[in-house]
Amino acid sequence: MIEVKNMSKSYLRRHVLKDVSFTAEKGQITCLIGINGAGKSTILKSIMGLSPIKKGQILVDGQPLDKLTYEKVAFIPDHLTMPLGMKLAEGLQFMADFYTNWEPSRAEELMDFFQLDALEKIGNMSKGTAAKYNLVLGLAQKTEYVLMDEPFSGIDLFSRELIAEVFSSHLIEDRGVLLTTHEIGEIEQLIDKAVIMQKGTIVREFNCEEVRSAEGKSIVDVMREVYRS
Amino acid sequence: MKTGDGWDEVTFNNRDPVYLQVVQHFKEQIVTSKLGAGQVIPSRRELGALLKINPNTAQRAYKEMEEQQLIVTEGNSPSRITSDASILHTIRSELLEVAVDAFVASVRKIDIPVEELLDLVKVKYVEERSTEIRSDAGGDKYD
Amino acid sequence: MNRYLKLVHMEIHRFRYVLGSLMGITMIFQISALIWQVNSKLSMDRETAKQFPESLFSQISFHEIVFSIQFWFIIPILVSIAVLSLYVFLIWYRDWFGRNTFIYRLLMLPTARRHIYLAKLTAILTFVFSLVAFQLLLLVIEKLIFNMIVPADRIQSSHFSDVIAANQAFKELIPRAFDQFVFSYGLGIMALIIIFTAILIERSYRMVGIVYAALYVFVCVFAVVFPLLSLGIDRSNAYLYPEEIFGIVFGICAVLLAASVWLGFRLLSKKIAV
Repeated sequence: MIEVKNMSKSYLRRHVLKDVSFTAEKGQITCLIGINGAGKSTILKSIMGLSPIKKGQILVDGQPLDKLTYEKVAFIPDHLTMPLGMKLAEGLQFMADFYTNWEPSRAEELMDFFQLDALEKIGNMSKGTAAKYNLVLGLAQKTEYVLMDEPFSGIDLFSRELIAEVFSSHLIEDRGVLLTTHEIGEIEQLIDKAVIMQKGTIVREFNCEEVRSAEGKSIVDVMREVYRS
Repeated sequence: MKTGDGWDEVTFNNRDPVYLQVVQHFKEQIVTSKLGAGQVIPSRRELGALLKINPNTAQRAYKEMEEQQLIVTEGNSPSRITSDASILHTIRSELLEVAVDAFVASVRKIDIPVEELLDLVKVKYVEERSTEIRSDAGGDKYD
Repeated sequence: MNRYLKLVHMEIHRFRYVLGSLMGITMIFQISALIWQVNSKLSMDRETAKQFPESLFSQISFHEIVFSIQFWFIIPILVSIAVLSLYVFLIWYRDWFGRNTFIYRLLMLPTARRHIYLAKLTAILTFVFSLVAFQLLLLVIEKLIFNMIVPADRIQSSHFSDVIAANQAFKELIPRAFDQFVFSYGLGIMALIIIFTAILIERSYRMVGIVYAALYVFVCVFAVVFPLLSLGIDRSNAYLYPEEIFGIVFGICAVLLAASVWLGFRLLSKKIAV
């Protein structure tokens, strides 16, 4: 379980995050929903130790962040994080060199599934291809958790469909997934838990199927309630 | 189980629990004989991929169906549709009842004598079935 | 350790073309200047020989030629120094800016983050020393070329130390005395570490960080220069002997070095932001 407890963060006296607490369970897909600037990406970056927090605590399976956390949690940002001069295959080799949890067979499977060319230069990829390559880098690590920042934004329809397929495959199965999005759209049926954010705070955290059972509301219905009130 | 056997066209609504919609879909498949008694059903992983849903949801749907004795799992072998005729019969009447309820609810608003309604239903239903049979037969010829 | 070496390899690999180009430029400048200078000297001697035949038998030494074309030898060296100085900053900033942000990946590697710092430091030092080594190798090659194009009976042998002494830049880059070498390069490494730490301060605190970083660099420079001036290294009537003053300054440098490295490691592991 990833636990975020009372996390606060500010930049130049402006609150970026204010007393944020939530959990993301293993074997579930948890989605941080909110408009741009609500602080979703900052939360993911803080969990990965890429952005220091002012107050609060982040625990992964009860442990605070250390270097071994990176073998346990993979982060897939919304942009490339590999030198543009490398070939795709060199990027995969870089990952294999540094991560003991790297699975070459899985990387190959994903490269095939997304039809990526290993000999292409990373810098020459289109945005949709780059997003797919990012998924390869993140998912071919055999981690227990995967964090994804806006995996669907700014990508063409067919790439989106292909990426959505990954969510209902064995590549995600049994892992804990925490993703962010500003439009719930096509993944409404995929997610187990929704955490709605507004201006650096969490306004609702709920189990999607429970809300559907108990209140007959879709995630969008709940969002509408939150944003219109 | 091939893809395209009534799995592709499933669309879910966002307001009812997805797992219950999956259960409902299975019931419809059984009643329309697309799934036969004792037939092996996809694993939860396969179902997740087929319906593009979270494997957890598939798991939950299977659990629900097991509780309703709609499917049976023996040991390590894959789950199957139950062969218990009485359960299959119950599903049929249950679905029929739900459909009729919906029909009645919408027709209720129009003030119409029950005999006239039944006659109308009879005509329509016979017409509908005969075209269905014809198109089925035609379909076979060109397959 | 293993991952540290992989990081060093990665950093060197990323700079290989630039490093190769610098070596290429140095080679082209120096060798062509040498050949041109030798040829013009020989043809000038032939001119002079029309009036004074004995000039055809005058001796030519390699170090004198090197001395006379110092300027062409120094230019590529200055270019290399400028490029490397710029890269001290770029080696960090290139990972933050641009279409890719490699720093995300680096910070998420399952290894102690100080390895990133040490790898970048090692990479810069490797570049410096490989350029210096290349220059030494180049001098050997240049001497061979010299021996080939100058008639054997006119070559006056020259000692390697004379060749080094013939060029201002060589004297600084390749000091003859070992303590001078330790002193120059030690000071250079310290400056490098202070700059690295200043960069990390800026990357951790951003806008405000620029002020902190400038302050930090100022304090470091002041801490080294002030005792030298105030204790009167330049005065003969100073209270302490020059050796003692140097001892004090050496101590201060050691403290600064340790503090900078510690601060750099700490910022990288606790404060850095992408």
